Amino acid sequence: MLAEVGFIATFLAFVAALYAVVVSVYGAQTRSNSLVLSGRNAALSTVGLLLVACGVLVIALIIGEYHISYVWRVSDPSTPIFFRITALWGSQEGSLLFWSLLMSVFAVGAILLNWHSDRQLMPYAVAYMMATLAFFLGLSLFLENPFERYWIVGGEQVVEAVFKPANAMAPSAENLANTAKGLNPLLRHFGMIIHPPMLYLGFVGFVIPFAFAMSALASGDLSTNWIKATRRWALVAWLFLSLGLILGGRWAYDVLGWGGYWGWDPVENAAFLPWLIGTAFLHSVMIQEKRGMLKVWNLFLVIGTFSAVIFGTFATRSGLIDSVHSFARSGIGAPMFIFWASITIISVGLILWRWNRGQLHDEHPFTNLLSREALFILNNVIFVALAGAIFWGSFGAPIISELFLNTNITLGTDYYMQVTPPLFLAMYILMGIAPLSAWGATSLWRLGSALLVPLVLVGGCAALLIATGIPPMIAILGYGVVMLAGVVALYEIYRGTAARRRGLGESWGGALVALFGRNRRRYGGYVIHVGVTIIGIGVIGSTLFQKETQQTLRVGESLQIEDYQLRYDGFIEAIAEDGRRMEIADTTLLRHGREIAQLRPRQDLYPDMPMTIAGQHSTFENDVYILLVGWETVGEDSATFKVYINPLINLVWYGGLILILGTFIAGWPNDPAPARVRERRATKIHAESTA
Amino acid sequence: MAQAQIGEWEKPLAKELLKAQRNGRERLKFLIGGVLILAAVAYLVLSGTIAGIQDFVMVEKLINDPAYVGKTVRLSGAVIGETIMYDSKNLVIEFTISNIPDKFDNLAVALQNAVDNPNAARVKVRVENEVKPDLLQHAAQAILTGKLGEDGVFHATELLLKCPTRFEEAHPGLSLIHSEA
Repeated sequence: MLAEVGFIATFLAFVAALYAVVVSVYGAQTRSNSLVLSGRNAALSTVGLLLVACGVLVIALIIGEYHISYVWRVSDPSTPIFFRITALWGSQEGSLLFWSLLMSVFAVGAILLNWHSDRQLMPYAVAYMMATLAFFLGLSLFLENPFERYWIVGGEQVVEAVFKPANAMAPSAENLANTAKGLNPLLRHFGMIIHPPMLYLGFVGFVIPFAFAMSALASGDLSTNWIKATRRWALVAWLFLSLGLILGGRWAYDVLGWGGYWGWDPVENAAFLPWLIGTAFLHSVMIQEKRGMLKVWNLFLVIGTFSAVIFGTFATRSGLIDSVHSFARSGIGAPMFIFWASITIISVGLILWRWNRGQLHDEHPFTNLLSREALFILNNVIFVALAGAIFWGSFGAPIISELFLNTNITLGTDYYMQVTPPLFLAMYILMGIAPLSAWGATSLWRLGSALLVPLVLVGGCAALLIATGIPPMIAILGYGVVMLAGVVALYEIYRGTAARRRGLGESWGGALVALFGRNRRRYGGYVIHVGVTIIGIGVIGSTLFQKETQQTLRVGESLQIEDYQLRYDGFIEAIAEDGRRMEIADTTLLRHGREIAQLRPRQDLYPDMPMTIAGQHSTFENDVYILLVGWETVGEDSATFKVYINPLINLVWYGGLILILGTFIAGWPNDPAPARVRERRATKIHAESTA
Repeated sequence: MAQAQIGEWEKPLAKELLKAQRNGRERLKFLIGGVLILAAVAYLVLSGTIAGIQDFVMVEKLINDPAYVGKTVRLSGAVIGETIMYDSKNLVIEFTISNIPDKFDNLAVALQNAVDNPNAARVKVRVENEVKPDLLQHAAQAILTGKLGEDGVFHATELLLKCPTRFEEAHPGLSLIHSEA
C-alpha cells in the first residue's frame, strides 16, 4: 500500500510539473491570465504531492517495510529511529526523491514570494523550475525508483518492481527483515546527516536565479528585475552550499580518520564548483545593479552555476569519475548529460539571440583599472579561473585523455597544491583592495592611502609572527595576504561606525547596529570576508604545520609530540545499545606534565566493518587528534596510537560560523513580511488613512 | 566673435573625441591585463598538469608493461581479503589486489569476479605509515597512488577504498528464496 501511494504521488507530481511547463509557456505567449494561473497552481501542487511521496518513504523506513527494496538496503531492524528518518537521503533513489521535494519547496517559495512583484517574469520562471523538477521526477519514476519492491517470480528469481508482476509472490517479512543491510556506518555522523540536505538545498537554490534569468531572456524584461527578484534566493542557496561544504569537511575530519578535511576528490570538487561560480555571481550582480554593466557576463555566470550544479550531480551519481564517494554506477548518466547539455545550449542560445538584437548592451564602459567594478571583474576572473582549473583537474583531463588519447590519466593532489594557492592568494588580495576602491574611478594615490592603515596593522601582525620565530617566510606571506582581507573588512566597519558616532553623536554600539541596519548587504558582506579570512588562517595553519607521530604503548607508558604527552591508561571493551562492540583505549593527555584531558579513541565494530573514532582535544590553538590503530590485550597489554597535532584547524569551523552569520546579515529582508502581506498591509493603511 | 562661436561649437565634439580616445586607451589596458591574466592562469594549469599527471592503470596493464616500473601511477584493483596483513605497531599494510576489467556494468559484480578469478593478474601492495582504513576488506576496490618497485611490489603512498558490495549495490539475491524454502 505504501509503495503504491508513494509511486502515484510521485507520478502525479511529475504530471503536474509537465503540465505547469506547457501551460505557463503557452499562457505567457497567448497572454492568457487563466492559463498562467493554472500553471502556477499546478506548480504549487507539486510540493504537497512530493511531501506525500517522501512522507510515505519515511513511514516505510520507520515501520521497517523491508519489502520496499530501498528500505531493505538502507536500514535493518537494529537501525535507530533517527537514522531511519535520515536514511531518506542515505542512498541514490531516496536522495533523488528528496532532491525533488527540496526543489519543489524552493520553487513554491519563489512563486509565493515573487508572484506579485514580478508578474511578467513568473510564467517563464515557473516553466524553467518545473522543467527541472519534471526531469528529476522522471529519473525517480523511470530509472531510480525508491518505491520498487522485491518479488519472487516462479519461485526461483528475485525481481524489483513497484507493482506485483504476474505469477509473483512477496518474500516473507521475516526473511526480508533478517537479510536487510542497514545504513552504512560511515554515514552515522551528524555531519553526514545534515551535509547532504544542505548541499541539495544549495544546489536546488541556484535553480531559482537561473530560472528567473532565463525568464528575463524569454520574456524580454531585461532590466535588473530578475536580479532583484533572485538576489536573496542566490544568497540563500550560497549559504546552504557553504554550510554543506563545511559540514562535509567536518564529517571527513571526524569520521575518515586521516586528520584532514579536504582531499581534492572529484566529488568534493563537484560541490565546490557551483560555490565558486555562485560567489562570482553574487559579486558581479552588484555591478549590474549599481552601474548597469556586465549584463551578459551575469547571465553566463548564472548559467555556469546552474550547469555546475547539474554537472556535479551528474558526475557524482553516474559513476563517470572514479571517486571514493561517488554513488554507484547507474543508468541516469546519459539522461542527466543530455539534460545538462540541452539546458546549457538553450540558455546560451537565448543569450546570443538577445545579444544579437542589441538588448544586452552595458550602460557604462569600463574606464578605470582601479575602479571597484574593474576589481570586481578581476575577482570574477579569479573565481572562474579557480573553477576552470578545478574542473580541468577533476573532470577535464581524465575525460579528454580517455576520449581522445586512449589513455587514462588523473591529476593528483600535487596538481591542486600547485595551481590553487596562487589563485586563492589573488582572491584574498582582491578581497583586501576592492572594498576600498570607489565605483567609477579611483586613483592609485587614493587607494594607496586608504590601504595605509590596514597594511600597517597587517605588517604589525606579520612582525609579531616573525618575532615568534616559528613560521617560514611562505607562511608569513600567506598569513599577511589573508589577514589583509579581514583587516580591511574590520577597518571598513570601524570607519563606518566611527563616522556615524562623530556625525550623529551615537554610541559605539548604537552606531554599529545602525550601520549594519542601513546597509546590511555591504556590511554582511564584510562579515563574510572576516569569516573567509579566518578560514584561510585555519587552512594555512593546518596544512603547513600539521605534526604527526605513531607509537605502541604499554599501559602506563607515554608518547611525546611537541609539548604534549599522551599516556595510555588501559583498555575497555563495551557493547553499545545498538549491539556494536566498542574497543576503547583510555588515555590521558598532558601538556608540560599537567593533565589536560581524558580521551578515549576507539574502534566500533559493526557487523560489516570496523569504524575508527578519533579522540579529539580541541582548543582555539589546535586539535590533538588521536587514533587507536591497533591493540594487544592478550599478553603484553599494549595499544598503538597515531597522533596528529592540527594547528589552528578549529578556525576553519569558527570561520564557517562567522561566514554563516554574515550571510544572514546580508540576506535578511528589510521587511520580513512577504510581498503579498506587504501589499495587504499597505492597502489597509491606505484604507485607514482615507477613512 | 566668429572664433568664439566656432570654439563653442567645437568644444563638445572635442570632449567626445577625447573621451573616446581615453576609453580606447582604457580598453586597451583592460585587454592587455586580461591577456596577461589568462596567460598566467594557463601557465599555472599547464605546469600543474605536468607536475600532477598520473596514469590511471589496472593491474594487468601495470605488471605487463616494464615502462611502469618506478613511475608514479594511480592503480585500481580488487582487494583479496585473505592476503591483508597489518602490522599496527609499525603501520605497515600489505595485501594483494586483483585486476578489474576496464569495462563493466556493475562494480560490485566486477569486484567479486576479480577476486574469484584465480587467473586474473594480481600484484602485491605495500603501504607504509598509514593506518589501516576501515574499508580495507575483501572485494573492496582499492585506488592507490604509488610506484611499482623492482621487487614486483607496488609501493603505495596513498590508499583509497570503495566498498560497493556492502551497501550501494546490495541485492538480496536468492537469500530471500532459500531460507523460505
